[in-house]
Order: sequence, then C-alpha cells, then structure tokens
Amino acid sequence: MTGTLVEVDTTWLEASRVLIVAGKGGVGSSTVAAAASLLAARRGADVLLIAVDGKPGLGPLLGGPRLASDEQVLRTVPKAGRIRGRTVPAEQAFGDYLELKGVSGLLRKAAAAASLDMVAASTPGLEHLLVLGKIKELERTGAADLIVVEAPPAGHAAPFIRSARALQDTVTSGPVRDQADEVAAMLGDAARAQALLVTLAEETPVNEVIELAYDIEEDLGLALAPLVVNACWPDRGALALTPATAAKRSGVTLTSADRAALALSSAFGAARLTVQREQLERLDRDLPLPRLILPRLPTPRLGPDHLDTLADALAVDPQVPG
Amino acid sequence: MSEPANLGELIRSVDLLVTCGPGGVGKTTTAAALGLAAARAGRKVVVVTIDPARRLADALGVDGVASHDPHEVAGAVKGRGSFSALMLDAERTFDQLVIDHAGDAAEAILRNRIYRSIAGSLSGAQAYMAIERLHQLHFSGDYDLVIIDTPPSRHAIDVLEAPDRLNSFLSNPVYRALTLPGRSFAKVTNAATTAFLWTVKRLAGPSIVEDTVEFFRSISGMEEGLRTRAAEVGALLRDARTGFVLVSSPRAEAIDEASYLAEAIQRGGYRLGGVVVNLVHPEPPPLSLRARDIAAIEGPLAEQLAYHAELTALAAAERDELQALVDLAGTAPVCTVPLLDHDVHDVAALGELGELLVD
Repeated sequence: MTGTLVEVDTTWLEASRVLIVAGKGGVGSSTVAAAASLLAARRGADVLLIAVDGKPGLGPLLGGPRLASDEQVLRTVPKAGRIRGRTVPAEQAFGDYLELKGVSGLLRKAAAAASLDMVAASTPGLEHLLVLGKIKELERTGAADLIVVEAPPAGHAAPFIRSARALQDTVTSGPVRDQADEVAAMLGDAARAQALLVTLAEETPVNEVIELAYDIEEDLGLALAPLVVNACWPDRGALALTPATAAKRSGVTLTSADRAALALSSAFGAARLTVQREQLERLDRDLPLPRLILPRLPTPRLGPDHLDTLADALAVDPQVPG
Repeated sequence: MSEPANLGELIRSVDLLVTCGPGGVGKTTTAAALGLAAARAGRKVVVVTIDPARRLADALGVDGVASHDPHEVAGAVKGRGSFSALMLDAERTFDQLVIDHAGDAAEAILRNRIYRSIAGSLSGAQAYMAIERLHQLHFSGDYDLVIIDTPPSRHAIDVLEAPDRLNSFLSNPVYRALTLPGRSFAKVTNAATTAFLWTVKRLAGPSIVEDTVEFFRSISGMEEGLRTRAAEVGALLRDARTGFVLVSSPRAEAIDEASYLAEAIQRGGYRLGGVVVNLVHPEPPPLSLRARDIAAIEGPLAEQLAYHAELTALAAAERDELQALVDLAGTAPVCTVPLLDHDVHDVAALGELGELLVD
C-alpha cells in the first residue's frame, strides 16, 4: 500500500454535507451512523439519515419510527437540530431519476414496463449508482445540513462507493454517464462528501478497514473522516493481576471460591484487553488516521439512551496516532 | 427424517449444509469448523467459502484467491475422512455453466461485454453461482458432504431466491421477445421490448443496447439448460438431506437479522437444520461477597469486582436475548459457543471449535 492518507480536520462533523459511514458487517456502522447523526443534531444541524441497505431498526434506535422510503422525523433535539430518516430503495431511486430528468409520457411508461431488474442486468452497478445519484440530488438541493449515509456492509461497501467510477469506464455517453460523472465529482470533493470508517479492535475488522481505507482514498479521492474504533473495553490494568494479589493490595481477604470466580472473569477480561491493545497498535502503525474510540456498552441491546453516551464519546478531539 | 438431537448428528446425516446469518458473527469460521468435524467423523467434505477473512483463508489454504477446484487441507484429518476447501470463483463457475449449456454459442457469449460485466460483478450472479457450484460438487460424486457459506445477512436471501429469480428473468416478456428466433432487432415490435430497449438506450447509450440485444440473443440457446438447472438446484436446496444452519450472535440487531432469515428459510420450504449462537460472553461463577462489602472495596480488587459484575450482567442479558433464537429454532438443535479469548485462524483452533459445535 502506497497511498498517502489526507489530513483530517478535527471539525470533521461539519466538514462536508455528506458523511458515508462504512465498515465490515457486525462492527456497528449503523450505531455509529446514528450516533454521528445525533451529535450533529445536538449541535443544531438538520440531519437526514439514509440507510442504503434498508435497515429499518435504525429509526427505533434513535427513538423514532422504523425507517421507510418516505422521510420521517426520528428525533428532535430541543433548541438545536433534528434527525429525519429514510431508506433509498433502488426502484424508487430509478423512478425519481426519471422524473428528475424530465422523462415522462412514453419513456416513463416504457421504463415502468422494463423492470429495473432487466435494465440493471444490462448495466451492472446501475442500482448502486441510482442510489448514490439520489443522495447526490439530495445534497445538491440542500435537503439537509448533513446527510449521513449508512453504506451497505462488508464486501458491498466498496462496490457501492466505487459504482460511479466503474460506470464511467463502461458507459461512454447518455444520462447514466452524466449521473456517474456527477456522483464521482461529489465523492471527490472533500467539502461535499467524506467517509467515516468504523472498525472493532479485533484482527479481522482491522485488516478489512485498512484495505477499505486505502481503496477508498486512493481509488476515489474520497476524503476520510477520523476512524471510529467501536466497542472498546475500558482499559482495566488490574485484570492482569491474580485475584489474590489484587485482594492483598486492596487489603481484603477473599474466600477461595471467590478467588476462583474472579480468576475466570479477570483472565477473560485481560485476554480481550490484550487483543484490543495489539489491534490498536496495529492501527497506529498501518492506518495513520486520527481516531475516535467508542466505549463498549455492557448490553446486547442498544437503545436511545445508549446513543446519547456514544454521541458524547464522539464529541472529543480525535486522537492522533504515534 | 427425524430431527437431529445436535449438530453432530446433523453433519453426519445431511449431504448439503448451507450456513447463513448476519455479517461479523463468525459464519465462515463456523462453516469451516463444522466441515472439519464432519471430516474427522469420517466424511469426505468440501467447504465452499465466498469471502473468507485473510487468516481463515490461510488456515484453509485458499490464500484469499478464488479457485475453481477444491484442494485438500493438509494435515487436517487422520483416517477415512477428507477435508477440502475452495473459495468461490463466481466468474469461472459462470463460464463453466455457459460452456456446458450454450453449445456453439459459448464463445460468443464469453466474449460479450454485457456477459463479462454480469459474470464479474453482479451480486445476484455471485449468489446464483454459489448454488451452481454446490450443485456441481454435489453431483461430482467426489464428496459426501458439501458445505456452502453464504454472503452476509440479507444477501443470503439472494442465494435462496437465485434459482427462482433466474427463472423469472428468463420468463420476462422482454427477454422472451428479444430471444425469439428469426427476428432481427428492427422487427422486434413487442411493446414491452421496444420500451425496454428504448429505456436502456436513453439511459445508458446506444452501444449498450447493441450489446444487450446480442447478449440476450446469444444466451437464448442455453435457456433450456439454465431453466432445467435452476429447477434442479431449487429442488436440491429443498431436499430432506439438505440442512440450513443459521449463525448469529446474542446481540439484538444480529438476532433481528437472523429471525428475518429464519422466516425466509421456513417460508421457502427449506429445512432449518440447526442454530449456532457465537460470541456469547461467558458467565463467571457468582461471588459470595455481599454488595455492601463490595461497595467498600477500593484499589485493584475493585476493578476486578467491577468487571466481574459487568460480565455477569452482560451474560445474563445475552441469555435473555438468546431466547428468541431458541424459540425460532423450534425442534432444530441450538448450540451456543462462548466468545473465545483468541481468534480462530488455524486448523488446530478450527478443530477445537468443531468439537464445541458438535457436542
């Protein structure tokens, strides 16, 4: 990897009108997208949160209704901003696109008859482009102060973001080409769009986020916001001690059963912390992006209250590695 | 067939196993570990992965490079069984399908620009090719058990629906009109087709239209073969000797996705053979210390006690969440796997995980 990663402004949240949140499946990109939206809304922004893969649960996470293709208000922050949310199904983006291009009458009917499936089969990547094109239209017309996009997960994030560039290669003229050019222009302009990458401090997610970061930055010139390392355990150094030593230093005597119970939990916690430290060090070495650390919340079910905690944790100066 | 009591019975009794679930829950690792366990139980096993993480790919010897032919994982099995792996090469599988079914037209199809972009990049095509490869391996007679790992979460539905989707694609009136024999492009007067071509032309430019027509024309010769194959594959997936294993974590959002998949599996008439819940936090034994004593403790022991309490609460909350998965599993076995304190990325660790799964 030879790319030089661009300098990231610490005012990343206000730096562009579109923030594309992406990461491997299971790292919590939707949670981070929701938390970033909440932070922006608290600072007075009118935010539009878009779930590309149509995860309807993002709405309830913010205390609002389930997401649908129609825009709905998910949360209003008193005396500050608000968050609206929606999904962008490819079929709807297709219809909106035709309308926008003034396609009506015969061609409109034609397009409806020829299902998107058929058209998309002749023009691979078209579905992604239509969705990005819709987002670009929302950005261009100032539909919100900040548009937060939850990108499709895992292996699908890169093809999604790259669809415009890929279509520029295969389609030489016509409206699809124009659309691809316009989307590529938006993605290449740091004042208009940036990517907020999310990872866990675990080996596989770290490998993948490093690849994704260089891919996105090199291929597309898409600016990178700070890296979010999600779900980090608080660094409890005492977990490395034996319970007997810890008890002695605290001036307490433990039963042998309690020592055994603590030995199990502490050893488990210490092992997870070791992995976490190693992976944070790898990120230091291999991905020189400023980063934001989000705490692991001890619950399997996140709700609106947890999001407030996560939004607080995002509202700090990103740490600069090294 | 009676329901297996556990995953160990499942992997000894089925010919095909499909793992599916949300992203990031260890689906591919589970597929590989189940395969290794079956091989060690004496079966000839091949595991087809789609996009394995690098270390796991190394452990399986697939090196993150797509390959058409499976290769045996060295030193994995002693005795009668065998354990092979491959990383799906969707493009090559598609090419093979064309060569097998298109006869003389094969060369023209393989050269067509539309075909190349579909074969290389369309996600639906990748899903279909995973199933196609499964069919090929199953009927090759070289393996007793074929395990296929699907793409994460909702895209797994693409895999299940791929045969039906291909069929409806081939039945689309536009497609039918385009491929009627003996009619030139100029004579295609079917309204839907004219509309389709017009749409493509206006949207993507005239050169795409020519390629599109040529592509549809050239694949018309293999239509029957494709249709027959799609029907066979659909039947194979619904066979009593095929089992789906749903993999999840105890986190609420993963369980939501898993429930959605479980519904799709049952709605589609497929058999849910088992549920695996990975990444479950271990519950430490309770302490005899009383809460008010704990509150008075300071220093390093306080940190240890705080972590013990946190882990206990988390494990209990996860157990509550898990109940939803137990409910949707019905009579299928459910296996929980604790969050391990190390990553699984060699054959030895896969073997240990396999033992946990089939116990």
